[in-house]
Amino acid sequence: MKNRVWIIILSFSVLICAVCWLYISNLSPLSQIVGIYQNGNLVEKIDLNSVTERREITLSGEYGKNTVLVSNGHIMMKSAECPDKLCVKHGELKNGGTPIVCLPNRVVVKFEDSPDGADAKTGAVR
Amino acid sequence: MKTKNLILTAILTALALVSFMIEAAIPPLTPIYGIKLGIANVFTLFALYALGTRQAAAVLFLRILLGSIFTGQLVSFIYSLTGGVLSFALMVLLKRFFPVKQVWVLSALCAVMHNVGQLGAAVLMTGTVQILYYLPVLVIAGIIAGTFTGLCAQLVLMRLKNQTY
Ligand SMILES: [Zn+2]
Repeated sequence: MKNRVWIIILSFSVLICAVCWLYISNLSPLSQIVGIYQNGNLVEKIDLNSVTERREITLSGEYGKNTVLVSNGHIMMKSAECPDKLCVKHGELKNGGTPIVCLPNRVVVKFEDSPDGADAKTGAVR
Repeated sequence: MKTKNLILTAILTALALVSFMIEAAIPPLTPIYGIKLGIANVFTLFALYALGTRQAAAVLFLRILLGSIFTGQLVSFIYSLTGGVLSFALMVLLKRFFPVKQVWVLSALCAVMHNVGQLGAAVLMTGTVQILYYLPVLVIAGIIAGTFTGLCAQLVLMRLKNQTY
């Protein structure tokens, strides 16, 4: 195939992915219930609307501690001892499409009842 | 393997390693894993077209191994290796369809494969399928970074078209 054909194919792919990404990064969560997971296991499930006072949840993984800060309507990774700190740079958990991920310590913070309905693992809200 | 060939492979490995480590020292632009230029890929591509499959494999896998040890981030080793194996397999498989003039296309496709592999490894490691939401942005990042590194390798290869190793 000619270079021109490839330029069209690849540009088109970029365009489609950009549209998907815009959609995903603006997905609104179906509820305010978030789950904190480590190694794929649920550590804690929290309804952000029913949080009355700020508190911190500390998880320890292979690469040190992760501290999750929870307050009314908000959740974020406050600090982490992982090498890359990308989970802290993520900031607040904002939408249903972009979970907070800490790969070194295998921690994930995400909204439950996400649009794909993946909630089978955990069952009811604790 | 001729001595010249061996030395060239070693030099390319060293260059790939240095560029990998410089890149690892620069703070990431975005809080999303896997968005980076991957300059080390230039040397893998160059080795593949100028020297051969075995030499390219040496450049890639030695770089991944030494890079993970030298940066002390063994956590990235598993992701780099998964991405590396998948993208290299694709690279070797598709090379025959892409002459030197189209190295950039092969590079873009392999960079996407690399990111998809890493994302797959991340899903398995964290046990969280939702991470796949990052797929579109990683495909875009792969196409852009792969095109850039591919063009770098391609320009050098075209300049050295009549060189034999
Ligand atoms: Zn982290």
